[in-house]
Amino acid sequence: MPKTALDSLLEPLRPYTQNTRKNTILLTSHGRPPWYGEDGKPLSDAFVIAVAGGSASGKTHVARQIVQSLDSVPTVVVLSQDSFYNRLSEEDVKIAHANEFDFDHPNSIDTGLFASCLADLKSCKQANVPIYSFSEHQRLKETKYLYGAAIIIVEGILSLHDPIMRSLYDLKIFVQCDSDLMLARRLKRDVKERGRTVEGVLDQYLRFVKPSYDNFVQPSSKFADIIVPGHNNSVAVDLISNHLRGKLTARSVRFRERMANVDRYLPLGAAGGTVLEEELEGPNLIVLPRTPQLKGIYTVLRDRTTRRGEFVFFADRLANLVVEKSMELLPFSPISVTTPVGVTAKGMKLTATDVCGVTIVGSGGPLEGGLSRVIRDVRLGSLLIQSHPSTGEPILLHTMLPSCVTDRRKSGDAWVFLLDAQIGTGASALMALRVLLDHGVKQEHIVYLAFIVARGGGIRVIRRAFPDVRIVCGALDDGLGEGWVSSETGERRRTWPIEPGMGSIGDRYYL
Amino acid sequence: MASPNTALTSQTHPGSLPPNVFTLPRTAQLEALYTIIRDKDTNRGDFIFYTDRIIRLLVEEGLNHLPVVTKNVETPTGAHYEGVGFEGRICGVSILRAGEAMEAGLREVCRSVRIGKILIQRDEDTAEAKLFYSKLPEDISSRYVLLLDPMLATGGSAIKAVEVLTQHGVPEDRIIFINLIACPEGIHSLCGRYPALRMITGWIDQGLNEKAYIIPGLGDFGERRYTC
Repeated sequence: MPKTALDSLLEPLRPYTQNTRKNTILLTSHGRPPWYGEDGKPLSDAFVIAVAGGSASGKTHVARQIVQSLDSVPTVVVLSQDSFYNRLSEEDVKIAHANEFDFDHPNSIDTGLFASCLADLKSCKQANVPIYSFSEHQRLKETKYLYGAAIIIVEGILSLHDPIMRSLYDLKIFVQCDSDLMLARRLKRDVKERGRTVEGVLDQYLRFVKPSYDNFVQPSSKFADIIVPGHNNSVAVDLISNHLRGKLTARSVRFRERMANVDRYLPLGAAGGTVLEEELEGPNLIVLPRTPQLKGIYTVLRDRTTRRGEFVFFADRLANLVVEKSMELLPFSPISVTTPVGVTAKGMKLTATDVCGVTIVGSGGPLEGGLSRVIRDVRLGSLLIQSHPSTGEPILLHTMLPSCVTDRRKSGDAWVFLLDAQIGTGASALMALRVLLDHGVKQEHIVYLAFIVARGGGIRVIRRAFPDVRIVCGALDDGLGEGWVSSETGERRRTWPIEPGMGSIGDRYYL
Repeated sequence: MASPNTALTSQTHPGSLPPNVFTLPRTAQLEALYTIIRDKDTNRGDFIFYTDRIIRLLVEEGLNHLPVVTKNVETPTGAHYEGVGFEGRICGVSILRAGEAMEAGLREVCRSVRIGKILIQRDEDTAEAKLFYSKLPEDISSRYVLLLDPMLATGGSAIKAVEVLTQHGVPEDRIIFINLIACPEGIHSLCGRYPALRMITGWIDQGLNEKAYIIPGLGDFGERRYTC
């Protein structure tokens, strides 16, 4: 695979997204706290920083310094202007290979696509960012999938040039550098790293780089909020970082007040408040028929003395029943087929093409076997959501979604079975659903599969936030108890186990 | 022993059928499954996968006709739950050769269940169903029997199989016949003969053609599953 502009920019940034502080759990600093409120709607856009400046002015350096200076950064994505070069015609590709193509002119950039990718990322949606190959001088077929950034850095010589792009920025930085210095840096870099000749570099500089700088890049500096020197700029970076930290802290405090917080929305049910059955059950909350076998299966699974082998067997059996019930919610249309007897038979055909599963890692696993026994070669994605050790709020640590969901052009038609053993507080359910909706999956195309739903838990919040999502479960339990667990590090946090429930389903299934 | 619980199943139960016949709920999804296995262009791999899916549903439904008793358990959170325990021992009996295809599905739902086998073929001279071979668990008379045969056409071999079971001391009301596709002719001769037996079927087709094949049916089940 050819090395691409985006890769080369993302790679060096990775180390900084890891928390470098000691004595903290690395993963917790990575995760993404809720970015939506109790109503399920996103609370705020991602914070977008633009870094413009001449070629070799030190933009990347400044961007990295800023990221590095932010303690326990959530998720940072760098969008480089270089990814968004226009598709070239065959003729232009030849010109480009002869180093005769003007890549420094604003017309060489697909600003429309650049702005729409940025707008998507800013509004918490996924983006399918193009990949530009310098070795082929062409945009590649594949795209880079990006999702879930809290901070977006847009980097490129012309990033302040376009007014639509500018309207998307929260902070505009221009890196000002002496022309001689930029030329010197560029010469050194291109000769040493890109194997170019001195004449070639100078020729290109005089024909394209310098005119573009004078005509477009330098003039765009008037739009900047702050102009940073291209070297010895640690004080400037410090100022920016302080400003940014202040902004982000203010934002997160505001978030926390409105955030879907278990502590706040739970007490009603957990305190034993009565929840009317009819308020809960309805066409979009489907409970399996309460047959004698189903009750027997639940009795085995709930029994604390049931051994693992037995638990796994009956959990698999239950998974099969829950999945089969969920399949009934997919769309079908009439067709006719010919049987081997030579007779025409009227029947039905599944019309959904992209049906996939997304597992909430840990507790959703026990349902996976059921899904793969029912849909041949089903695509399975996963979401890793953990509770923050001290606050108990859900943290999104990892997403790996099926291609029909990550691809914006397909997600509107995709059907997703979201697999989770139980909906208790509903905190992780709310987050998982938000992730799918961010990707453009329709509410009515999502089926949430669970063994148990707690009446008094977060189910009401979920139903209110996403009324068109359908939930299929095997049993409705009374409510949530309240307990404390100690983590390995000795930290204690509150938990809300479902009563009567079956304990921690994932642990009993796997450990 | 508690009496078999038939009230709380998910079955639809059309009035025109004998009261001892239960069908799966007729959903678009179930119809789609049958459409796949009926289609003559469906390959063997898909045929096996989708018949297995229906068989599991049928076995699950059949098990709902077994008795349960109240059982109280304590959950890992210390809460009490009033549930039920499975009561009564079961075994499977497959009518060779097609019935064997249902054994895997049965074992997926009832782990390590004992399975007997019966081979019945038409006697070329008398045209009557004749028992060629049977191997059944020794204590079969004390068990509920899930009798497995995917296709019920004239009902001749199913009737013969039930006869074999009753001769081995299995009470008629402890036999649950599990079947993928039936037709009215077969249902009436089998259930007319054995009114206490319970029959679970996934789909009731139009009827039989002159060669006694089910219409529209799915062809020869054993052939499509094993040799085609």
